[in-house]
Amino acid sequence: MKVRFKLNGEEVEVEANPASRLLDVLREKFGLIGVKEGCGEGECGACAVLLDGRVVHSCLVPFANVMGKEIITIEGLRKTEEYRIIEESLLDAGSVQCGFCTPGFVISIYALLKNNPNPEDKEIREAISGNLCRCTGYQMIIDGVKLAAKRGEKLWKA
Amino acid sequence: MRDISKPVRRFDASEKIAGVARFVDDHYEEGMLYGKIVRSERVRAKIKAIKIPELPEGYHVISAKDIPGKNRIKMIFDDWPFLAEDVVNYFGEPILLVVGPEREKVYEISESIEIEYEDIPAILSVEEALLNKKPPIYGENNLFADYFFEKGDVENAFSEADEVIEEEFKTGFQEHIYLEPQGMIAKYNNGRIEVFGSMQCPFYVKNALIEEFDTKPDKIRVVQTTTGGGFGGKEEYPSQIAGIAALGAYKTGKTVKLVYDRAEDVEFTTKRHPSHIRIKGAVKNGKVIGIEVEIILNAGSYAGLSSVVLQRGMFAATGAYSIPNVRVIGKAVATNIVPMGAFRGFGAPQSIFAIETFMNHVAKRLGRDPVEFKLSHRYRKGDTTATGGLLRNEVRLPEIVNRVLSMSDYYSKKKEKKEGKKLYGIGFSMFLHGCGFTGNGEEILKSIARLKKRKDNKVEILISNVDMGQGPQTTLRKVVAEVLGIPYEDVIYENPDTDRVPDSGPTVASRTAMIVGGLLYRAAKELKEKWVDGEEIVVEKQYRHPEYIKWDQEKFKGDAYPEYSWGANVIEVEVDPITYEIDVKKAYAVFDLGTPLDRKIIEGQIHGGMLQGIGYATLEVMEQKDGRFMQRTITDYIVPTALDAPLFETDLVSQPYEHGPFGAKCAGELTFVGAAPAVCAAVEDALQIDLYEIPIRPEKLLTIMEKKNESEV
Amino acid sequence: MEGVIPKTLNEALSLMASKNYIPVAGGTDLMVRYKRWKNLTPSFPAAPLFIANLPELRGIYREDDELIIKAATPLSDIEGHSDIPVVLKEAVRLMASPGIRNIGTIGGNVGNASPAGDTLPPLYVLDANVVLLSEKGKRTLRIYEFIKGPGKNDRREDEIIYEIRFKVPEYTHYFYRKVGTRKANALSKLSFAGIAKVENGIIEDFRISLGAVAPFPVRVIEIERKVVGKKTEEIDGQFIDSIKKDYEPYIRPIDDQRSTAYYRKKTSLRLIESFLRAL
Ligand SMILES: Cc1cc2nc3c(=O)[nH]c(=O)nc-3n(C[C@H](O)[C@H](O)[C@H](O)COP(=O)(O)OP(=O)(O)OC[C@H]3O[C@@H](n4cnc5c(N)ncnc54)[C@H](O)[C@@H]3O)c2cc1C
Ligand code: FES
Ligand code: FES
Repeated sequence: MKVRFKLNGEEVEVEANPASRLLDVLREKFGLIGVKEGCGEGECGACAVLLDGRVVHSCLVPFANVMGKEIITIEGLRKTEEYRIIEESLLDAGSVQCGFCTPGFVISIYALLKNNPNPEDKEIREAISGNLCRCTGYQMIIDGVKLAAKRGEKLWKA
Repeated sequence: MRDISKPVRRFDASEKIAGVARFVDDHYEEGMLYGKIVRSERVRAKIKAIKIPELPEGYHVISAKDIPGKNRIKMIFDDWPFLAEDVVNYFGEPILLVVGPEREKVYEISESIEIEYEDIPAILSVEEALLNKKPPIYGENNLFADYFFEKGDVENAFSEADEVIEEEFKTGFQEHIYLEPQGMIAKYNNGRIEVFGSMQCPFYVKNALIEEFDTKPDKIRVVQTTTGGGFGGKEEYPSQIAGIAALGAYKTGKTVKLVYDRAEDVEFTTKRHPSHIRIKGAVKNGKVIGIEVEIILNAGSYAGLSSVVLQRGMFAATGAYSIPNVRVIGKAVATNIVPMGAFRGFGAPQSIFAIETFMNHVAKRLGRDPVEFKLSHRYRKGDTTATGGLLRNEVRLPEIVNRVLSMSDYYSKKKEKKEGKKLYGIGFSMFLHGCGFTGNGEEILKSIARLKKRKDNKVEILISNVDMGQGPQTTLRKVVAEVLGIPYEDVIYENPDTDRVPDSGPTVASRTAMIVGGLLYRAAKELKEKWVDGEEIVVEKQYRHPEYIKWDQEKFKGDAYPEYSWGANVIEVEVDPITYEIDVKKAYAVFDLGTPLDRKIIEGQIHGGMLQGIGYATLEVMEQKDGRFMQRTITDYIVPTALDAPLFETDLVSQPYEHGPFGAKCAGELTFVGAAPAVCAAVEDALQIDLYEIPIRPEKLLTIMEKKNESEV
Repeated sequence: MEGVIPKTLNEALSLMASKNYIPVAGGTDLMVRYKRWKNLTPSFPAAPLFIANLPELRGIYREDDELIIKAATPLSDIEGHSDIPVVLKEAVRLMASPGIRNIGTIGGNVGNASPAGDTLPPLYVLDANVVLLSEKGKRTLRIYEFIKGPGKNDRREDEIIYEIRFKVPEYTHYFYRKVGTRKANALSKLSFAGIAKVENGIIEDFRISLGAVAPFPVRVIEIERKVVGKKTEEIDGQFIDSIKKDYEPYIRPIDDQRSTAYYRKKTSLRLIESFLRAL
């Protein structure tokens, strides 16, 4: 089945089984390797993307459900000023170790800050609770989020 | 001079954040084949017959018979096959590899293969293995290793004692859950095998393939792809996947990709060894004067690295305590479950949990404060360890302990417990970790590190150690740049490729910074002297144990490690009085790991290591039933999320090691070992009970509390 | 079996009438259930019908004194809606993780009929109705008539779950507790939902439901009746013990990879006690 949707700002149409996982379509039909498969069961968040601005785990999304929707992956986010702020903040806070989880975290962090420019510790933890990280113990990722909130203050409120 | 400890941005982080770093699954090649392993559906059986359906063109089924060389993964023992031959020893053991161009078809074929088995009575527990009533899995008695060492006169200590206290401890399985599942890509071209994948030890893989294909070293090339976490799980296990993938490539002449599904990874890769540890202590005049520790590890179905895991466990048996009379007994026992393997701490976490909890219990029995009681037994400079090794360097435990106590406000919190809906508890642990390989490991390995200065004056690090998240891409660059006085950016360090790098040993045992970093440090010093602008210069350094180190591998006598790192943890918990769920609120840690090569990277190691240790003590339940794990997916095997993680507060005390680069010692594993006993002590404090087992499940606490309440009524 | 994306509710219903389709909303249960191996398309035993984006199936409305939640409303919309009673809101807030709540639906949770489905105990105490729709018309069932057992419900093959509706009760006390395997993205070992209305020291309404401790959520009206009408000071140790005893036979949990039957049972009884004591 052919499905049209908006991907990282562009209208696209692609032929795929409507029951296939959005994750596979993004990685295999579009080569978007920043979307990672850590589990395929919705547990780890490494496959997170934005669907109409909301975080979703692309390994759980049947491709049919993106018809007419807008998907933004880390590759799309990368072009934005918001991304640059998050990137710099994660770099400075030492938030990255093996990095397999990181693109997924960036998606969750972006969605969080867009909705809540000044989150508290607990709210940050809630927002990233669907992203597993086995390396960092999370605290330095949370430090990165706080830094990004501060550095991008105007941007998030816009 | 720049401050080596001052944090810099990690060199590998930008591309990881952006999602452009290529992990093994991100590599794709036109015409590539996909592999799927067909696994045993029996716990222990003879393979009677294999029925393979007619295969469509381009699809192949590969078995042990296709292996040109030896069907054993090169490790310490020669018992673990790449693919099972006539017997299977655990549920999920690889038997066949199916490869082909379409995954769907590969899957279909693998599902339609029929294997006929004849069951052999399976050994489902350590107890059963030790009873030895069923045909043994290994040797005559199911023991992969059976060790013993002694110091002083233990019997005399027991006979002199005022009191003899004996307790038994248990620790469970633990799964690594590195976030990137295991995977390999193999190619076969002109008689050469090339393997790319997620791994810690390129030369382990290379050496395994040399034997598998009975070929010369120059016919095998192994390249590490950016690796999404390892924690020991990618130490020995990748050799098996690489061997299987390479066999596929060898048979078909095509590139073969073999990447695990998470469910395969959870159920069928190595785990941390569960343990039973019995400690018998002789107490006289308020001191433990003698101790007998018996450590029994469930090693699973093949020997793997279990003998060395057991050794490290045994050498850590007395923890950070100087006890004059010591007897340590250890057994690594074969059972029919996946082989247990390397996991951060490598046998030490089990022992440290047991000795720390034992010392707490003894202190309580004697009416002593556990911190003070432990400190009174602590190792000091000049003491000999359990194996009779000499502690040559300052042991700054008093400073470490004082700092963690004041940071956490331990005593006032312990005295005036927070009142609330939850039951509050606080716990303490202190511990050590031996740096680098156990015993004469480094001596045998004789690692080589190389620096190559290019004509453009950039310097390349050529070593076989990998960055799997722990940071050597950054720390080792800093070491070299610092010695040479050049910008960090002028040092190059690519993922190791065995065609280009010497064997500087595996990325294990917290040895990369201290041992390999030490070699690079010395190489850089030499390079600095030889430096000529615009010329290519190569410098190599080979490891030599410091002269003063003495070790007898037969008797386990002498310096088990060249150096030690030290630490103390305090953990605060709240236990729900109705459900007994444990909420770990705060974790404090002070470590002496020598000079930190980057404070942020070390902090990351501390948080990550401690959270893994907290998970090990609480949420991470893996149980075995009828030879299979009950928790087979990442949905059922639970690791902490951001909401389960405590707040961390950390500090460092730095006693440098003269042979470590800028005085660095070991860090990676040390951060793991103290968390579980501190959590356990905190829960004991909250509920006023004694515990002997991790993970501490609410299910268990409920029954303990029911008994306690009954006996109090 | 290739799936279909209907454009309208009517099209969906006529397809459902024509042959056996599997309705897929968020897919968070189904994509995992029918997963086979990495990178393969999940294999549905019948053709999937993708209904998540039908506008007729989304939204939260008030109609007279009833609250209506359309079946394909994502959990995160429920969590954020001011009209939703706190027992349900709490339950939803503690489900899965934000990314799953953004696509997982209430219809999916009810349709899945898992004993560990977290919206079920609150929907039981809210006396919710499940409205089913087919070309033949509407059917309204009590939630506890609809849920038939683990993975089983009373939906006919041609029906879809259309909406969940309930009267928002008045209550002075509520208690929701999920005992999961961890604090986020955790399936329930057991869960407890309770509401009560106490006026002038008299318990006028009292309802509790427990999840994951029996093949379907436990709600026992007869026992609740023993509590209703009591004065709060009559809720003493002896009374509580008798109520716990009454509940015992209904709490029939199992041992599994998440917890033990013993723990589930004892903890359920302890939670019942705790709620009673709080009145
Ligand atoms: C990582 C993870 C964590 C989770 N955590 C929780 C948790 O904490 N608590 C919990 O309760 N659940 C949890 N779940 C399960 C799941 O997310 C919920 O049950 C969710 O509500 C399902 O909604 P859905 O729309 O995604 O369902 P789907 O997968 O689309 O459907 C589920 C079932 O309902 C049927 N169905 C769906 N909509 C309709 C309809 N309108 N008409 C008829 N039938 C329909 C489907 O045919 C299917 O049988 C979790 C799942 C994952 C992957
Ligand atoms: S791969 Fe999708 S959540 Fe893990
Ligand atoms: S950095 Fe490795 S999993 Fe997060």
